[in-house]
Amino acid sequence: MAVLYHGEPNGPSLSVLAVLAECGLEDQIETRAINLLAGERHTIPGITEPLARDLGVEGEGPVLVVDGEACQESVFLAQYLDEAAGAGLQPKDAYTHWQMMMWCRRITERCAPAAAFLGNRAYATPVLAAMDDPSFDAITASIASADLRQRWADTRSGAFPETAQADSQVKIADAAALVETQLGDGREWLIGPLTIADFETYGWLVGMVDLMPDAFADRPLAKAWMARMTARPSVQSALARAGTAHPERVWAPGPEINRWG
Amino acid sequence: MSVALYHWEPNANSGKPMLALMEKGVTFDSHYIDMLAFDQHKPEYLAINPQGTIPAMVHNGRVLVESTAIMEYVNEAFAGPALMPDNPLERWRIRWWMKFMDQWLGPSFSMIGWSVFVGPMVRKRDPAELEAAIDRIPLPERRVAWRKAISGQFGEAELAESRRRVAFGIALLEEELGKRDYVGSNAYSLADINIFNSTYSLPLSQPDLAGRDKTPNIMRWLKRVYQREAVKRTWAMGRTDLAHRYSLIMEGID
Ligand SMILES: N[C@@H](CCC(=O)N[C@@H](CS)C(=O)NCC(=O)O)C(=O)O
Repeated sequence: MAVLYHGEPNGPSLSVLAVLAECGLEDQIETRAINLLAGERHTIPGITEPLARDLGVEGEGPVLVVDGEACQESVFLAQYLDEAAGAGLQPKDAYTHWQMMMWCRRITERCAPAAAFLGNRAYATPVLAAMDDPSFDAITASIASADLRQRWADTRSGAFPETAQADSQVKIADAAALVETQLGDGREWLIGPLTIADFETYGWLVGMVDLMPDAFADRPLAKAWMARMTARPSVQSALARAGTAHPERVWAPGPEINRWG
Repeated sequence: MSVALYHWEPNANSGKPMLALMEKGVTFDSHYIDMLAFDQHKPEYLAINPQGTIPAMVHNGRVLVESTAIMEYVNEAFAGPALMPDNPLERWRIRWWMKFMDQWLGPSFSMIGWSVFVGPMVRKRDPAELEAAIDRIPLPERRVAWRKAISGQFGEAELAESRRRVAFGIALLEEELGKRDYVGSNAYSLADINIFNSTYSLPLSQPDLAGRDKTPNIMRWLKRVYQREAVKRTWAMGRTDLAHRYSLIMEGID
C-alpha cells in the first residue's frame, strides 16, 4: 500500500495531488499532509530505502512511499500514478511524448529553481528566520544532502544574491511567455491533449502570479489556461486539502539553480 | 523512415542515443560533430539545432534534442528489445537515476572533465580565433563554460563541490549495484546506457574512487555492459583513442 506525503498544495505537491485526483486514485493511495518547512519530510517513518527522498533533485517535494521505498520528483511520480491507473495523461505517440518530456524538463530545470528561489525568498525566509537555533539545527541535522542543507541555511539567512534574483525573475517571465506562445494556436492544453505537463507547469507557476504580476500582465492565453486548470475538479480537490488560506504562499527549499550550463 | 544522428565521441551525452539506437537495431546516418573543433557552432549544424549542443537526432524530418529524452523516444518509436521494464516502480527508479545523473552528478563530471581535458586541449590554439569561436556560441551558459574551460577559471570552491559530488555519487552507484544487477532493476535499461556513458572512464579518471578493490559492483556492471554487442559497435564509431584506452581497462576485469 502506497502513502503519499505532501506539503501544502503548491509547487510539486500541488501538481502531484492534482494528478492523483485526475487519475482517480484518491481512494487507493493514502495521503498524509506534512509541514515541509518544519523538515517533516526528512523524518517520515518506515522508510527502508531513503535514497531518492534524501538525494532528490527537486528538494522539498512530495514523497510517495511504495513498499518502504521513498519515491520523489513530481514529474516521475505523476508518470507513476498515470501508468498505474492507465489514466492517459501521457501522449501515446512517441514524438508527442518526447515533446511532453521536453516541456517538463524545461519547467523542472529552468522555471522550478527560479520559482523556488523567489517563493522561498518571499515566504520561507521569515518563517525560518523566526525559528530558534536549536529547532533549526534539529531540522538540518536530519537532512542527508549537503547541498539541500546549504539551501536551507541560505533561505534562513536570506542569502539570495541579486544576480540570481534577477535571473530568476527573467526565467519566470520566460516561462509565462513560453506558455503564452504555446497556446497561440488556440489549443486548450500545453501539449494538445491534457498531460502531466499542464499539472507540472501549473504547480510551479500558480504561486508566481502574485509575486510577479508583470510577468502575466500581458499574457491573456496563459491566464485563461491557468483559470481552466484551477477549475478542474482534480485541482480543486488538491486545493481543498490546504491547511492555510493561501497555499500558493507556502514554500520550502526547492531545486538548485544549474551550476553548469 | 531515415534516422540521422549528430554526435561526437561515443561518451556522455552523445553516447546515449548512439547506444540506444544500436541496442534497438536501428540503422542511422552518423554525422560526426567534432566538439573540440567547434563543429557544433557552425551554421550547417545550427540549422539543425539552433542551440548548438550535441547530440541531435533527425527522424522523419523532425529534430529531437536532449540526450535522455532522445533515448526515451528511440525506445518508444522503434521495434526491438524493450529498454524500459513494465513495472511502474522500476520505471520510476530508472527515471530517477537518469535525472540524478543528468542534473546532479553529470554536471560535476563535466565540470571536472572540462577543467582537466577540454580546456587544455583547445587552449593551445590562437586566442583571437578562440575568442571569435566563443562569440558564435548561441547559449549564454555554454559561452561561460567555454570561457572558463579555456582560461582555466573554474573556482576552487565549485571544483571542490564537484569533487564532493563525484565521490558521493560513485558511492551511491556502488551501493545501488549491490542491490540489483542493473541500475534500478534487474534488466538492462536506459538507465544503464545513461550511466555507463558517464562512468566507464572512472577507473582511469578517478582511480582513487573507483576500481577493482574500491567499487567491485560498479566494475562487474561496467564489464557486463561493456561486453554488449551494441557497446562494441558504438565504440568502434569513435575517432579518438578514447574507447580503445577504456577497452584495455575492461579487459583487465574478471
Ligand atoms: N542536456 C543536453 C546537453 C547537451 C550538451 O550540452 N552537450 C554538450 C556535449 S556533452 C555540448 O554540446 N557542448 C558543446 C558546447 O558547449 O559547445 C543533453 O543531454 O543532450
